[in-house]
Amino acid sequence: MRWPRFFSKKRGHRHTGSREWGSIAEGLFYAALLLGGLIFGGLLVSGVAAYAPADPGRVVLQRGYDWWMWVLTLVIPLALVAFGGSGLGKVIRMWGKSDERRAASAGFPEFLDTLGHPPHEAPGHPGVPACENLVNSPGNVLRYRLPIESPENWTLLGFGMFALLWNAVVVVLAAGAGANIRRGNPDWFLLALLIPFVAVGVGGVILFVRAVVLAASVGPTQIEISDHPLVPGQRYDVLLGQGGSGLFKSIELRLELEEQATFCQGTDTRTERLVVWRDAAGSWSRVQAVPGGRFEAHVEITIPDQAMHSFNSPHNSVHWRLVVRGSPDRWPPFTRVFPLVVFPAGRNAGATPHAPQGGKGVE
Amino acid sequence: MTRYRLAEHPDSAMLNPFASRYTRPGCLPPLDHMGRCIDADDILSAFDHVGAMASIRGPHGAGKSTLLTHLADRWEDRGMAVERVRLRTGADMSQAMACIARAPDAGLVCIDSWELAGGFARWRACRKARSVGCRLLVTEHRRTGLPVLVECRTTAALLGEIVSRLPDHHRWFGTLIDSADIEAAFALSGGNLREAIAELYDRFERRLPPAPSLLVGG
Amino acid sequence: MMGVSDAGFSPEGSFQAGASPSFPAPTLRFLLQFDRVSRIYEPLESITVRYEVAGAEAASMRALERSILWYTEGKGEEDIGVHFFERIADASDLPQVLPQGFFSNRLPASPLSYEGVIVKVRWCVRLRVFFEAGRDFVSEHVFSLGRIPPIRQATGGERL
Repeated sequence: MRWPRFFSKKRGHRHTGSREWGSIAEGLFYAALLLGGLIFGGLLVSGVAAYAPADPGRVVLQRGYDWWMWVLTLVIPLALVAFGGSGLGKVIRMWGKSDERRAASAGFPEFLDTLGHPPHEAPGHPGVPACENLVNSPGNVLRYRLPIESPENWTLLGFGMFALLWNAVVVVLAAGAGANIRRGNPDWFLLALLIPFVAVGVGGVILFVRAVVLAASVGPTQIEISDHPLVPGQRYDVLLGQGGSGLFKSIELRLELEEQATFCQGTDTRTERLVVWRDAAGSWSRVQAVPGGRFEAHVEITIPDQAMHSFNSPHNSVHWRLVVRGSPDRWPPFTRVFPLVVFPAGRNAGATPHAPQGGKGVE
Repeated sequence: MTRYRLAEHPDSAMLNPFASRYTRPGCLPPLDHMGRCIDADDILSAFDHVGAMASIRGPHGAGKSTLLTHLADRWEDRGMAVERVRLRTGADMSQAMACIARAPDAGLVCIDSWELAGGFARWRACRKARSVGCRLLVTEHRRTGLPVLVECRTTAALLGEIVSRLPDHHRWFGTLIDSADIEAAFALSGGNLREAIAELYDRFERRLPPAPSLLVGG
Repeated sequence: MMGVSDAGFSPEGSFQAGASPSFPAPTLRFLLQFDRVSRIYEPLESITVRYEVAGAEAASMRALERSILWYTEGKGEEDIGVHFFERIADASDLPQVLPQGFFSNRLPASPLSYEGVIVKVRWCVRLRVFFEAGRDFVSEHVFSLGRIPPIRQATGGERL
């Protein structure tokens, strides 16, 4: 059984998951820092004096601090509060906003963020997305390894963070309720409140464990390609690698062309996606991965001669992608998407027509 | 400033009249629930009686933004200053406040999706508008306290009238799209005209005949 | 008018302002010709357009904007990308471009014209004439960049 890999082999600063799940995970991270700072600081401040239980008016132990000690002591929790609070505020403020709006509407820190991002357009090709982040990871067999677009890892992290934080709150509440019961003074309201909290906490743990087991059982999917970006009329070698420990009823690899259109009007924002063209690149049944290894398959894909190139504008786009659909024997089916960039015909991307050669890449 | 958009296509059969380009606010004149043209001057006269601030209310896809755009254009035709703001989130209220601040006396500030702003932000905006002396016309889905200038609602007849005003209507109505499609789209969308038009877009696209080759002439 | 290309121009595309049934307008006609009858251009090729604005006094025209741009059409919000833009407002320059004139430009490598299902990319030449009292009129004339067939006619694979 393999553990999920949160940090797979890649280079550069590309997104491998959905922006929304990334924002959620980022928000949870900052929320945890903020919470930690508040708790740590609260404990420090509240631990100034201890009182005798029999005589609460009498201080039996008092810590004395010079002012500079206070400053030093509170630096860490204050830093956590400041960092966590500002980060959380930024995530909330920037939720759902495009990069152009972030750069145009926000302040200097957000502007700095956009400077670190690669240009959105390919040089010399207006409207064609840049593909630097797709060609900065070399493959083991073929020239490039493609990044995955599926949000599974972020989903896993999201479930984990949620389960951790929620159950931390449940533990605190349960400890308080237990202390009340031991003192012979049960707080029935707190106990009643605990019931739904515990239920949600248990559900969160179950979801997280299920997601971990699913990710570990299904294993990672990797795609390598002989060249990139692609050009209409050319053929390319593709290597599909599928990990996992069980049997797959079927695995299918498809080349798809998808259109995406976003319409904003008042409070309504609709984004519609439509796969308008599809070609089956390969299909396999009853696939059993070798223990400790993985299933591999070499196929060839061809971009049609008069195909539309990849196109990206603020509200409309045309995407090419390789899609892997798998049906594990005892688990739900999965879909993993690997984006491609196709340039207009006539641009020499370095690809030459060739016959597949058992997985050897073209250098 | 009056603008007229004229378009010529080498092959009109390729044009889907239900595209957002031809149906977004400003492209079609505002119509009442029975499909009759709305007299903007009548509404603006009513606005004078209602007060300095008023709203256009209605459900999603009822034509509120279209009417707001039309009234703003007519206000401009009278030589009056107009500021237009579309709220997508509550954070956009800062832009709305800026528009109100720079609006001249007796100018008009149009704010789309007024209820996205919080109660306090709306109160601040109204207070600012009063102090500046400008007028406020907004669209909203639910009551927010402003007097209602127009209550928008939709019918299948209204959708039919909108369809009749789309480009090249005579070429495709009755063949690619007919009255039954309009009724069905209205029913499927639950009265949301925007969704109904999207449904008609899909139907039109599915029924388009194979396009002639682009490789004609030299 | 100077001869521009030996290939001959496309038939005059005339369009009359006010043709839209919704908006009444004075009679104004934009006559525009492309240097290709087919109106199909390859990436990086040169395009030449000649035009004439008829139905209005030349003296009443205050400015002219000529542009070549692409726009999206479909179910999404319209996006535009301006490849070429020129505004002529100087009184001494206007007689050379109004009521008739021509201009040329080298087209870019992308985006190509595309007839998708919910997303379409179109190229056009746009003329905008400004008149007194702040009124302006716009005329668009579509052409094709590239020869990508409509997705409905895509060969190979499976069209969905």
